[in-house]
Amino acid sequence: MCNMELREGIKDSIPIVLGYLPLGFAFGVLATEAGMNLQQATAMSVLCFTGAGQYIAIGVMQAGGAVITAILANLLINQRYTLFATSMVPYLKKLPTRWAAFLSYGLTDETYAVAMNRYRQREASIAYMAGLNLTSHLSWIGSTILGAWLGSMISNTERFGLGFALPAMYTCLLVFMVNKKSDALVAIIAALVCILTGYLLPESMKNLSNIIIATLIGASLGMLIDERN
Amino acid sequence: MSATSIYLMIMGVSLVSLLPRILPVAILSRFEFPEALKRWLSFVAPAVLGALTALSIIAPRGNIDINTGNIYLWAFIPTFLVAIKSRSLFFTLLTGILSMAFLYNYFSI
Repeated sequence: MCNMELREGIKDSIPIVLGYLPLGFAFGVLATEAGMNLQQATAMSVLCFTGAGQYIAIGVMQAGGAVITAILANLLINQRYTLFATSMVPYLKKLPTRWAAFLSYGLTDETYAVAMNRYRQREASIAYMAGLNLTSHLSWIGSTILGAWLGSMISNTERFGLGFALPAMYTCLLVFMVNKKSDALVAIIAALVCILTGYLLPESMKNLSNIIIATLIGASLGMLIDERN
Repeated sequence: MSATSIYLMIMGVSLVSLLPRILPVAILSRFEFPEALKRWLSFVAPAVLGALTALSIIAPRGNIDINTGNIYLWAFIPTFLVAIKSRSLFFTLLTGILSMAFLYNYFSI
């Protein structure tokens, strides 16, 4: 049973792994260009596991910014996870808290999308979380190493189409997740608010606060729509 | 940046990026949420996915790009249709990746 759950977690991480390959690789390349060595780039992917946050830190480094600037930018950009993790709590309650909390370190936009799709239909389990989150993290670390190591040799990974792995995964998980009219409306509202906020406040595109704003508005309107029906 | 600064930065970023994911689960798991909050939270996932999907195709490189030259918008069409018809992550991903490879190699400026 436990093995089965672990295997399913690993299987469900395959689309994430495909998407992380080019992203982690690109991080490895950029990190070495910004002056990190292989060891430092790897350490960052092991200890931080935050795609957008790591890119921003590299950007700060390259611009000659201060350590505290990189950390503060990450404090902002990672706030969305507070919301994501909180929405996962009702599903993780029955699990041993210590393990569930530890494995939640591997919560990312992508593992969140996959896990929530699963938990809406099946019980959560530690083995599934481990399979999904650890495999995703390992692929992030592995691709970082490859990028930092071979970066100069492979110039363009985009022509393989892997740049669309994560957008395709989001699209599919969104279709899976929409089971009732209010779900669809919430998703559409959040999509519109997210893009509109990004357009009106370009800064929100950088710190991803537009995702937080879109989620707060989308979920609140979802409640209203649900109550009316 | 010196090696020390780089490691300081990595540790700082690690703290601020991991704590928001771990603490809610560690602290809130012992509380029973009120029904209304649970219902609100149940809409968080569809909202997040709507926002992430939109961002990933409309602003694939971090800037909003609503333009016929944005091949992510074009690749979204077959991908979305296959997702609805097949309800299979595998075929959706395959369609998305192949569409993007095709568009990138033949239509990218």
